[in-house]
Amino acid sequence: MSEYKHPRELGQTPAQDEPAPSRRRALRSLLGIASIPALSAAGPAQAVAATASAGKIPRLNGKPDFSGIWQTLSEADYDLEPHGNRSDAPPGPGVVEGNVIPYLPDALEKRKRNFAQRDTLDPTIKGWTPGVPRLAYYPAPFQIFQRKEDITIVPQFGHAVRTIWTNNSRHPDGDPKEYWLGDSRGKWEGDTLLVDVVDFNDETWLDRAGNHHSTALHVIERWKFIDPNTIDYSATIEDPKVFSRPWTINVILYRRREKNFQLIEDYRFTIPYDEHYPPKKS
Amino acid sequence: MKTNFRKQAICIALLAIVAQGALAQQGQGGSSITRENSFPAIASGKWTGPRTLDGQPDVQGHWSNTIANHNNFTDPQGGIINDPSGRKPKTQRSERAPSRVSDPPDGQVPFQPWAAEKVKEFQTYFNNPIKPEYIEPLARCAPGGVIKSFYWHGYEIRQFPGYVVILFNSGTRIIPLTDKPHLPDNIKLWMGDSRGRWEGNTLVVDVRNNNGKALFGRSGEFHGPNAHIVERFIFDNSNKRFNYVATITDPETYTRPFTVTIPARRWTADDKTNGWHFETRLANIGGKDKVLERDERICTENNGGFGFVATSSGRR
Repeated sequence: MSEYKHPRELGQTPAQDEPAPSRRRALRSLLGIASIPALSAAGPAQAVAATASAGKIPRLNGKPDFSGIWQTLSEADYDLEPHGNRSDAPPGPGVVEGNVIPYLPDALEKRKRNFAQRDTLDPTIKGWTPGVPRLAYYPAPFQIFQRKEDITIVPQFGHAVRTIWTNNSRHPDGDPKEYWLGDSRGKWEGDTLLVDVVDFNDETWLDRAGNHHSTALHVIERWKFIDPNTIDYSATIEDPKVFSRPWTINVILYRRREKNFQLIEDYRFTIPYDEHYPPKKS
Repeated sequence: MKTNFRKQAICIALLAIVAQGALAQQGQGGSSITRENSFPAIASGKWTGPRTLDGQPDVQGHWSNTIANHNNFTDPQGGIINDPSGRKPKTQRSERAPSRVSDPPDGQVPFQPWAAEKVKEFQTYFNNPIKPEYIEPLARCAPGGVIKSFYWHGYEIRQFPGYVVILFNSGTRIIPLTDKPHLPDNIKLWMGDSRGRWEGNTLVVDVRNNNGKALFGRSGEFHGPNAHIVERFIFDNSNKRFNYVATITDPETYTRPFTVTIPARRWTADDKTNGWHFETRLANIGGKDKVLERDERICTENNGGFGFVATSSGRR
């Protein structure tokens, strides 16, 4: 966490009590202008990547080509934090840098309430989209399709298709929007795809354990090949209404390499009523 | 002679472009053909238009049908069948767009008697759904299915090496350009399992594993869970239109295979957006280029009126 600096700390953004549009301008500058030194600093994961066979990764227009079907092996979706086994979850070492999510007191109470009712309140139980960043570590494959101008992510679970724009466009102007997946603007820093995501609603959870966020959520993702079949994925999450400081998760994504592997649609929100169709010969 | 002919052809093409520009300037945004009552046939043949890096005809962009929505499958501009408000079409049948069933010639789905009875029952109770099966599944945010998706809002085609991907208002199609085997028969999907190939200007897609649940619209026509669909997307070399021609074979439901034809046109940054055919915005990007962006499509979670209820609705 030490290498992350909020834009405010870098003097690029107004004071904390500024209205939302200012925040958005700050984010535009974050994405539009040159890199933030703190974000470019090599962390441990990048050190691993640097030693891999960087020359062999697939490329498109000179940039890393993430096309393919990917999935986590981690237990992140059950609980981002370290946890022992539960009746509904395998144990996991956690994927949060520093292990603990830095909640504000009220938000921590809400997490506890969510956790107690996770069997019914987790939006993914209803078949709803996991959102961002949860789509990346939800335990189901997703497929990346890449063009020069954008990256299309089709998750197997849920029905929401995500687009990461890589055409030097900025977040929309005006009042913040409330999207389930947020508004994603990506840019390349060397071989790392850096994605700035804002404009969220507050309906998605970050995992099954009830970790949550508000509409002020701001996610910065980093996608980088470790080798041609492995991606190092990290997301820095900030939300001043919920967390006391930004925090970062790291997961590894593996290419699904089974013969003829393909996504199989999973619109499971239709299960409660799909038995009624089509008409049957009586 | 040949050269002259070419010049003539170019002049005609230019005139057509000018005419379309004039339409757009009138504020029509091309909407004059969003409810056309007839449409040109497009022949399968060579593709002379642009190509993607991997050699596919480049048909990427935003498209929508030119006729009508899913109110009525065989009389697309005839309104809802048994409309409870008593509205009747103001035009003669011959003045309206033809049936989406282009074969058999009578424009009707060749249902077996039991299936025809089910459709009639659906139409009787559609406006008074005393059983769950009389609710049109799109009203519950179900995926549109292979057929209906082509007349339910506009959609975007994106192409990638080895793939055509179609982003619909409700549901997504990933069409791999491969002849690898389909998924095992017991896996049934709302949007089917697709295997595609290009033949000149025509994208041919073999679709199996259809669950049949989506229905064809508010008039209740359907195919069964073992239907086999062969789609032909026949693109005009202007790259401004295509006709979707699908043959559905399902001996459990029909007396013979039949063909569905749905015309579509391209929508571009020169068109005005609207809330149905063309739901896009311009990217926040410098320069003269107008770059279109498509909003996320989320139905289930936002749908307050049917099926599921979200705790709040998002601002757009």
